Amino acid sequence: MMILESLRRQPAHGYALVQHIQQRSNNLLQVEEGSLYPALQRLLKAKLVRADWGVSATNRRVRTYQITAAGRRHLEQEISSFERMFAGITLVLNPGKPAAN
Amino acid sequence: MNWLSRIFHRRSLSSELAEEMQLHLEERAEQLMGEGLSRGEAEQAARRAFGNRTILEERSREVWQWPTVESIWADVRYALRQLRKSPGFSMTVILSLTLGLGATTTIFTFVNALLLRPPAVADAGHLVEVMEHNAKASGIEAYMPFSYPGYALIRDHNHTLSGFAAFDGDPRTVSWSHDGRGQMVFGQLVSSNFFSVLGVEPSIGRFFRDEEDKGGPGSPTAVISYSFWQRQLAADRSVLGRTLVFNGASYTVVGVAPPSFTGILIGSRPDFWAPLTMTPTLIHDPARMGSDTSFWLFGIGRLKPGVFKNEAQADLTVLTRSTHSSDPNGAVMDASAFPIQLVPGPFRGYVAAFTGLLMAAVGLVLLIACANAANLVLARATTRRRELAVRSALGASRFRIIRQALTESLLLSMMGGAGGLLVAYWSIPALLNLKPATIPISVEAPLDWRVFAFAFLASLLSGIAFGVIPALRSTRRDLLPALKDERQVAGPRRSGLRNSIVVAQITVCLVLLISAGLCVRSLFNARSIDPGFSTHNIAVAQFDPGSLGYTETQDSQFYQQLLERVRALPGVSSASLSDYLPLGTSRSLQGVQIDGFAPPPGQDSIHVQVAYIAPDFFKTMGIPVLNGRDFSPEDSQPGWHGLIINQAMANHFWPGRNPIGLHLKVDKEPMEIVGVVKTGKYRSLGEEPLDFMYRQMGSESQEYLVVRTGGGEEAVLGEVRGVIQSLDPNVVPMEMESIGQYMALPLFAAHTTGVLLAVFGSMALLLATIGLSGVVSYSVSQRTNEIGVRMALGADRFDVVRLIVKQGMRLTGIGIVLGLALSFAATRVLAGLLYGITPGDPLTFAAVSLFLGAVAFISCYVPAHRAASIDPMKSLRAE
Repeated sequence: MMILESLRRQPAHGYALVQHIQQRSNNLLQVEEGSLYPALQRLLKAKLVRADWGVSATNRRVRTYQITAAGRRHLEQEISSFERMFAGITLVLNPGKPAAN
Repeated sequence: MNWLSRIFHRRSLSSELAEEMQLHLEERAEQLMGEGLSRGEAEQAARRAFGNRTILEERSREVWQWPTVESIWADVRYALRQLRKSPGFSMTVILSLTLGLGATTTIFTFVNALLLRPPAVADAGHLVEVMEHNAKASGIEAYMPFSYPGYALIRDHNHTLSGFAAFDGDPRTVSWSHDGRGQMVFGQLVSSNFFSVLGVEPSIGRFFRDEEDKGGPGSPTAVISYSFWQRQLAADRSVLGRTLVFNGASYTVVGVAPPSFTGILIGSRPDFWAPLTMTPTLIHDPARMGSDTSFWLFGIGRLKPGVFKNEAQADLTVLTRSTHSSDPNGAVMDASAFPIQLVPGPFRGYVAAFTGLLMAAVGLVLLIACANAANLVLARATTRRRELAVRSALGASRFRIIRQALTESLLLSMMGGAGGLLVAYWSIPALLNLKPATIPISVEAPLDWRVFAFAFLASLLSGIAFGVIPALRSTRRDLLPALKDERQVAGPRRSGLRNSIVVAQITVCLVLLISAGLCVRSLFNARSIDPGFSTHNIAVAQFDPGSLGYTETQDSQFYQQLLERVRALPGVSSASLSDYLPLGTSRSLQGVQIDGFAPPPGQDSIHVQVAYIAPDFFKTMGIPVLNGRDFSPEDSQPGWHGLIINQAMANHFWPGRNPIGLHLKVDKEPMEIVGVVKTGKYRSLGEEPLDFMYRQMGSESQEYLVVRTGGGEEAVLGEVRGVIQSLDPNVVPMEMESIGQYMALPLFAAHTTGVLLAVFGSMALLLATIGLSGVVSYSVSQRTNEIGVRMALGADRFDVVRLIVKQGMRLTGIGIVLGLALSFAATRVLAGLLYGITPGDPLTFAAVSLFLGAVAFISCYVPAHRAASIDPMKSLRAE
């Protein structure tokens, strides 16, 4: 979901994606950087992202990932279901307060 | 990227991933260097942050994999490499299994052909075969076909069948006259609804119409078989409407059966079918159709939708009982319905018992083969301990290693199974040749999908059977000793499993060998049983000119001329005729009334088996006339007939007296005994002496010609053929053979079992020998050290040989004792097949045990001798 969200903003290659996610999460999410790649392969297989080989700004051969139309749809569904779940959790943890939405 | 290109681009996928990850690491390192770390520190930190690159790469690849299939494929490739690395081991296992699975598949092919293969009919599940069943009798004799009136009653009045068809159970040998000569073909009489009830569609033309069953023999029609059409009529499509002459009558061909349909009785492959209305013309028995005492028709019914077999059986029983209500013997005849099969229901038990016996024998061979394979795999697993230890140290799970081991054994067993199919493919024609060529039945044993499925399943099970225990064992032990290259002394516990496998092999092998020994000895006994007639230099031919419509006068003329001409042939010393040959399949009994002897209760006379013969029969057959004389032409006058009896009958009725000149009534005709001949075997080789009598030949149509020759029966048969040609080219001898060939039939069961069990026994012996010497060799290789130490300490070669042989012979001894015990139980089932030998024959038991012991000794001695040639210095240095 995070990968798709990042890619929705702009296409990126592997390292750039890791950088982006780490910055966005203020380094709160510490995961093995490499675990990005199996995840990317899963998304590729599910045709939620597309990959093209290109040349980076530093003149290296890089594979750039782009979100596909199916990826966007999937992301929207995921976000809304995640938000529903999040709202549910919030309700349970703070029973007095009505959920934000 | 579709799946196909994915497979082909697998390499590029991996290299792309690697490149991508490498780039990631470099970029991370550069960034860290930018933050002030040294190159080395930066690279290390980058790798740490990235995680285990190999695992991640693997996991990324797995996303694209068809995971199980691909890892199995990897296992298979690895297994193939392993097997190629030790070709001796692989070949031994594969050959063992090929023998075992080959024998099993071959016998199963016959089981399939006889019992499993359904006839080529539509929706066989709703067809039933119907026979009459005498509720008071037991065994096979209780079942009877229908008479025509009995059949017609059921056909017209049942409530549970949508159609009831009938066919003549005997294949009719028919003379087909064409191009000025006769040729023997097989015909079957069927009801006109036969094909429609079976749901068979013609290849070309049509099948019979209902009116062809009802009306008289107006214009006879015939349906020919596909193979007859192909072989004899050149597959000519214009055959429809053509006329074929069978037994002197013309039949119009109306249709050709489909290639798959060869009749619904195993063994009989009719060349043509004719409607039942043609019975009087085809078999010259005008009374048969109307007779309610001739039982000759097998019934086939198609169940109405929703009707079960038992309901139909109850419905038909009511009808059969009504047809027999006036039976003076008070027999209660029920109807018995069986699922339709190539071997009719009542006979299946017998066929199943015989094939079951063979199946059990080959099952044992397969067991021994599997035991061999298990032993070899176990031995190899021990030598591969290091490899397995390394693999599990590197993180392979136990399951993964077991799966790999099983893949290897399954691969071996599948190769064995493929070999087994080849063995079956080659051995089946050879086995079919065991059937005497003169038995007028043809058995097909096709390798159909059931056989392939069986071979596959048997291979699978064998592979699991011999693979799973070694696999479990080899993964159970500690890794450390194996990794440290610690040599393990072959302790008793470790070799316990292998030893018990060898003991089991010896046990099973002995059971098989003893059974085989009994059957082979029984075969020799059977061959040496005196059948009471000569089994050499006699040629036999059977004729039935009556089937061509000969009248009685024409019959006797034909036979008279035949005898005269044959007797004049060079090399023929005598010739005669008889309506019966001893040990044949037919028999006829006649009522005898003798003064002073009361008939058995409920009967008006004593029944004795009888044959009608021409003069010179005894001389030709080599049957000694003990008292009195042979028939002469004067013996048959109105009101007075001569009779010749056998010694058994003379002893039975007139013990201690000379029966010559005594009078008795046979079939209510007065007879005078003119001769006594030696008692022979009449029904089976194993029988007790039976009463038998010979009458002077009358005007029977069906006769055996017996010819005594000075040798060279084949040449004489050729001459006889020439004589028949000149007498009437349309007469076809139904059988022409030497007496040796004739004797093949009564010896058939003994012969087949003897040969097969001998083959299986030898296979078992070979396999058990391989197994035993394998285990002994293996233990020698494990104990090289120990042997070296012993020899260095002063043991001489003889001590070493004794040490090794003793170990092997101990196992053999245990196996033989167990095998003897088991054989006593197992050979009981053979009792019915044995001639002149008891199932517990001590000589066979002792001889076979000694033989097996001797073979075992040799297979221990060879590796022991090799062990004794070990140079102690070398073996100690090897440490």
